Amino acid sequence: MRKAKHPAIFWLFLAPVLFAFVIVIVVPFILGAYYSFTNWSATDRLGETLKLVGLANYAGILKDPSFTYSFIITVVYTLLNMIAINIVSFALAMLVTQKLVGRNVYRAGFFIPNLIGGLILGYVWQFIFDNAVPSLGTFLGFASWENPANLLLAKSNTALLAMVVVGTWQYAGYIMVIYVAAIEMIPQELVEAAQIDGASTFRRLRSITLPMIRQALTVTLFITLVNSFKQFDVNVSLTAGGPSAMFLGQPIYGTQLLAMNIYNQGLKSDDMAGGQARAVVFFLVLVLVSIIEVSINKKREIEL
Amino acid sequence: MKYIKVFVPILLALIVGACAKPPQHITLEQNKPEIDAALKAYADVWSKANQITVTIKSVGGSSGIDLGTQLKADFAAGDMPDIFAIAGLEDYKQWSNLTLDLTGEKWINDTSVPFKVDGKVYGFPVAVEGWGLAYNADILKKAGVDPLTLNNYAAYKAAFEKIDAIKASLGLKSVVSMAASIDMSWVTRDHNFNSLLSNGLPYGDKSVTNDLLAGKVDAKRLSEYADWVELLFKYADKAVLTTGNYDAQVGAFASGKAAFLHQGNWVDPNMAQAKATFAMAFAPHGSMAQATDGIFVAAPSFYVINKNSKNIPAAKKFLTDLVYTDAGNKYMVVDALMIPAYKNITLSPAGQLSKSVQAWAAAGKIYSWNQYYFTQEFREKTLAAIYNQFATGAINKARFIDLMTKAFESLKK
Repeated sequence: MRKAKHPAIFWLFLAPVLFAFVIVIVVPFILGAYYSFTNWSATDRLGETLKLVGLANYAGILKDPSFTYSFIITVVYTLLNMIAINIVSFALAMLVTQKLVGRNVYRAGFFIPNLIGGLILGYVWQFIFDNAVPSLGTFLGFASWENPANLLLAKSNTALLAMVVVGTWQYAGYIMVIYVAAIEMIPQELVEAAQIDGASTFRRLRSITLPMIRQALTVTLFITLVNSFKQFDVNVSLTAGGPSAMFLGQPIYGTQLLAMNIYNQGLKSDDMAGGQARAVVFFLVLVLVSIIEVSINKKREIEL
Repeated sequence: MKYIKVFVPILLALIVGACAKPPQHITLEQNKPEIDAALKAYADVWSKANQITVTIKSVGGSSGIDLGTQLKADFAAGDMPDIFAIAGLEDYKQWSNLTLDLTGEKWINDTSVPFKVDGKVYGFPVAVEGWGLAYNADILKKAGVDPLTLNNYAAYKAAFEKIDAIKASLGLKSVVSMAASIDMSWVTRDHNFNSLLSNGLPYGDKSVTNDLLAGKVDAKRLSEYADWVELLFKYADKAVLTTGNYDAQVGAFASGKAAFLHQGNWVDPNMAQAKATFAMAFAPHGSMAQATDGIFVAAPSFYVINKNSKNIPAAKKFLTDLVYTDAGNKYMVVDALMIPAYKNITLSPAGQLSKSVQAWAAAGKIYSWNQYYFTQEFREKTLAAIYNQFATGAINKARFIDLMTKAFESLKK
């Protein structure tokens, strides 16, 4: 790469972005990490001053079963969501790269859910699960759909599945676009050569398409992993953390993912510093998992 | 030079203008979305009359975002409002360093429910609210149940069984409209929970509350209360109970699909919207074996003034004018449909349930609100989950009592 002749101009052009990055990412991050070692409460109590408390907030995390539980279900949710989103979006991508009539309409249609805000999406799907499905059951004569005990959002395990359904609906179109781009990049002569050799559709999918979109897979798996792990808005509006579940003999919120656990600890439990400590743990785990995920995938990519 | 000749007078005029009329502005942040429109309209009128601009922010309505959360964000951002609402002692403690002592304000003489700590007044009561169990008088009449007899567990049990047996002919889907999902947990962990704390006790009696806060559980009282919770859950529509939102719960009662509703007089505007014309009123809770002839009435929230506000006189005037001007009274009672907390106000709200609360209060048959002596963390994180477990049928009554007992014991410092 050619060396920049005018470093001043280089930095000048970078300055606006750098400024924003430092102000909204770097500074809050450092402040947050600092606050996690203090008794910060974000309230103004008589006789209370900010002081360092060492690792007390981190010790508090270990004592709270709700964090452990949130951690476990977040991992479960992330795995389910990654699998569901990638399978559905890959299937959709295969569909809309066929010679279909109106395939551009399909492409746009599948992408639209991604443009709806997560909060609204959560309320819309809450209505579908709680009201539309039982009404449809009445209409079709399926008594089991009307039974309140069978509502997806009435039990914590099925409510988690409902969140996977909504997550998939929201993200499949977006991930599909990445797959479509990758599939269209596959050299046509490879496909034709395979066809002439008499390779079946399934064989071509396994030996050409899948290896050739490996790079896209690295990206999509990373995006779905991070987005699922950080899920917050759909969680708040669809289930609000409920229904409850029992964990280690204590009743707790059954579908409270990590991001919501952090939020509730900070703002509902009036423990901002404790929430901040959780956020730091959350960050470290997410970085670690992402690095492992990307490095494994990178090894398997095929250089063209 | 030519420009300077023009520029300097303009600058001077601006400076003089700014000095002559310091910009007065107050911000009020409150927690009742249902009165947002009425309050904004009143604030506009007041602004024009006093040359002080007012910004109203309303936060609330679900457990996702509430005023306490918003205030913490505002405080962290260095943008605390001049006036904001608190619900009680635990809220007050969070902001005890910046709430202004209001002792000596004129309105204190006209209210019986100011927010006091150690003899000093800090909070302006926004209104008076109350809840018992709201009933549809028309349905009760058809079912042959006299609402005046509903004041203990046995009476409710008999009435619920009687109505449940003929609910199809009355057009009911369930006897009670009750909500216990995590999102609606304020109905259980705040309102229903208060039955355990104050039902049957003299107004202001905090003995049970203080015992529980110290980890001492009255097993008999808790057991009778658990019977009451079980009864409400048993005769509720399961879909509304476990997954319903506010609209589903209130809607079931408004449309005549439930004979009872576990909510307070704040549902009056919803009843008007749903065009519910049947006669309705409140009956006491049946959380005890003994008769408890009264409903839970208190000021739900209090406006406090930020000590660090630059516009304290304006903020004080805004509150005082609510009580002592016709426009303020009309806003509170006619537009916002609230029961006034001030005895000089002669207007009366139009809603049937509000009238019922006023009637109980006038008869002196009221019990206090003690739920806000427990922290938000305890109510939301611990109690909400226990009630929800019971509501979904995951645990039985014995386990419910056991979990509640353990929860209170964990409060012992």
